[in-house]
Amino acid sequence: MIMKKLLLSVLYFSLPILLFIFLAEWFLTNQLRHSRHGEYSVWNDVFDSRVNSDIVVYGSSRAMVHMDPGIISDSLSLSCYNLGINGHNFWLQYLRHKELLKYNTKPKLIIQSVDVFTLTKRPDLFNSEQFLPYMLKNSEVEKATKSYKGFNYFDYHLPLLRYAGKYKTIGTIFKDLISPVPIDSCRYRGYAPQDQTWNDDLEKARLRFSTFRVDIDTSSVQLFDRFIRECLSNGIDIKIVYTPEYKVGQDFVQNRDEILGIFIKFAHKYNLTFLDYSNDSISFEKKYFYNASHLNRKGSKLFTAKLVSDIKKNNFLGK
Amino acid sequence: MVIYSTIVDFVIGIFLGKETNPIKRKLLLSISIIGNLGLLVFFKYYNFFLDSFVDAFTFFGYEISTRSLNVILPVGISFYTFQTLSYGIDVYRKQIEPTRDFIAFSAFVTFFPQLVAGPIERASNLLPQFYKHRFFVYNKAIDGLRQILWGLFKKVVIADNAAEYANLIFNNSAEYTGSTLALGVFFFSIQIYCDFSGYSDIAIGTGRLFGFDLMRNFNFPYFSRDIAEFWRRWHISLSTWFRDYLYYPLGGSKGNLLNKVRNTFIIFLVSGFWHGANWTFIIWGALNAIYFLPLLLLKKNRTYLGIVAEGKIFPTFREFTSMGITFLLTLFAWIFFRANSIDHAFSIISEIFSGSFFSPIELPKEFLVAVGLIVLFMMIEWLGRANQYAIAKLGPGWPKGLRWAIYYSIMLAIFLFAGNGQDFIYFQF
Repeated sequence: MIMKKLLLSVLYFSLPILLFIFLAEWFLTNQLRHSRHGEYSVWNDVFDSRVNSDIVVYGSSRAMVHMDPGIISDSLSLSCYNLGINGHNFWLQYLRHKELLKYNTKPKLIIQSVDVFTLTKRPDLFNSEQFLPYMLKNSEVEKATKSYKGFNYFDYHLPLLRYAGKYKTIGTIFKDLISPVPIDSCRYRGYAPQDQTWNDDLEKARLRFSTFRVDIDTSSVQLFDRFIRECLSNGIDIKIVYTPEYKVGQDFVQNRDEILGIFIKFAHKYNLTFLDYSNDSISFEKKYFYNASHLNRKGSKLFTAKLVSDIKKNNFLGK
Repeated sequence: MVIYSTIVDFVIGIFLGKETNPIKRKLLLSISIIGNLGLLVFFKYYNFFLDSFVDAFTFFGYEISTRSLNVILPVGISFYTFQTLSYGIDVYRKQIEPTRDFIAFSAFVTFFPQLVAGPIERASNLLPQFYKHRFFVYNKAIDGLRQILWGLFKKVVIADNAAEYANLIFNNSAEYTGSTLALGVFFFSIQIYCDFSGYSDIAIGTGRLFGFDLMRNFNFPYFSRDIAEFWRRWHISLSTWFRDYLYYPLGGSKGNLLNKVRNTFIIFLVSGFWHGANWTFIIWGALNAIYFLPLLLLKKNRTYLGIVAEGKIFPTFREFTSMGITFLLTLFAWIFFRANSIDHAFSIISEIFSGSFFSPIELPKEFLVAVGLIVLFMMIEWLGRANQYAIAKLGPGWPKGLRWAIYYSIMLAIFLFAGNGQDFIYFQF
């Protein structure tokens, strides 16, 4: 009898909790699925079939801040979307590619921005909050993110659990309810131009290390190879682009040439265009950068115009 | 290992019960002690002794080559070894009857809630509970669930959030100024308390849910007015173990001045060494001995036996100052406990005691959320300091709606402010 009393108490106590779990799961996910903040705006466009572009830009934060889809669209008369993902190398860029193909029409051309970190693998899941509204029972997201330190099995399979401890994200959701972020205010078709002035990131990095060696991850190289093969067999053209990098900072990475060599090899192997802007005049002008590897708004507009002109000039689209 | 420990002490207990010859009884006890401590020394201290031995030879200009062991420390070994040891000693002292019930004895050694990190139980308390027919007691089960909830809050919200900053600061100590390092020490002091006492609450609560009463392990130690009171309130099951099986047999606080000093240092150094094979733990133990000794010699070590400011909301200025000084002393000792090496500890101390102590804190502003949660937590602890655990008084006398609202609020706080999952600190010991 007494045990029955306890079980009944536990049951009554749990009912509001269960109700809360499902309501909160629905509310939080639904709000984030409509968010226009940072990466959410891009993921939402991908999952809601709003990308549907002839040209897509892939890459890390360098792609995100360097290539203006507006200029590309206007100059080439083709629709364009920038899918650059901040802080992530090729593994998560590939996830975006897979989800893009699942929910959108396939692009004609991929402009793949590469850099010294493209073929590395970081241990942590940077900005893990961006996956929250899409990861429940999504095997593609689970496959791409589970090997990182961030989420566990239950986060992918049980409702609400993954939101535990994410009070900042939850706070943002409630803030958005009061004053929503207007569409395209954070990222215009994925592009996030930066109005920052030169900061001391390079000097700080130099104080910590005199030079730096990037560990190339073999599995990332294999994935990059697979990606190219898949795209080509699907009739999607790829241009590999090494966007401008401030010349003074280029010496900081010891094995930069070795990494560039890998991309050149890929270009030769699959007969792809490889455009390297490491020695372009933009790379010598500090005024176009806000740190050694990121262009500011002015620099990115200038660079995108140059890129489009090179694509047109060499009739790369007609290849 | 646990099976070995269980069988050895079960068999020795039976023989000790039968044997009347004092020499043979001593021999049996020695087998138990050597068998248990041998295991502990081999797994926990072998590499430490080896390295110290090599360092000593190197210091005198001799190079010797040795091979360190790459062994994994079995989980909970420091806890169940002490538990089985205490059984052997109690039987030897004829304080308890040896058990002939192997199942009950095995359950006593391996009782799952407290197997890996205590409380270190005594056979006299836990073993008889396995013989008794237990009835389900509704209020006891509810109390157990409540204690589990509070333990979870302490671990998941307070300890794990404090750990994030403590780890960041201690792991990158060279990059921070004195003020941030001091804050890091504060975060660690909160982390270790909430991590370990949170675990103990979960263990004790789980025990109560199944009808078992485990011993109390923490009694609001950061509200202690001197270091002697702190040690009566911190990791009670270990400190009373050392008191009963080491300090008293050595003579305790009796005897001449030299004996008192020796016994105090032995108990604190061994306590430090129990935590791990590292000189930092030994210094931590020595520091506590230095704090404790003046109180013992001036016979003031039992000044504070009751609850601070009992029945009052606020402490007196004197009580507040005493608590503050005691807390600062423990903070200083925690630096050695947490640091990777003695050099690391001294580099932190020299930075804290420099002009940079007055520089602004160099942490992302989110650390204020962690500080806010800690302040709220300490206030709840203060209000509940007369109880077994802070929210123990949320009993049947309260309206159900209010009680449930508080439980839901705690659960919501766990959901919203859960830190990044961190391993329990005491699992490594």
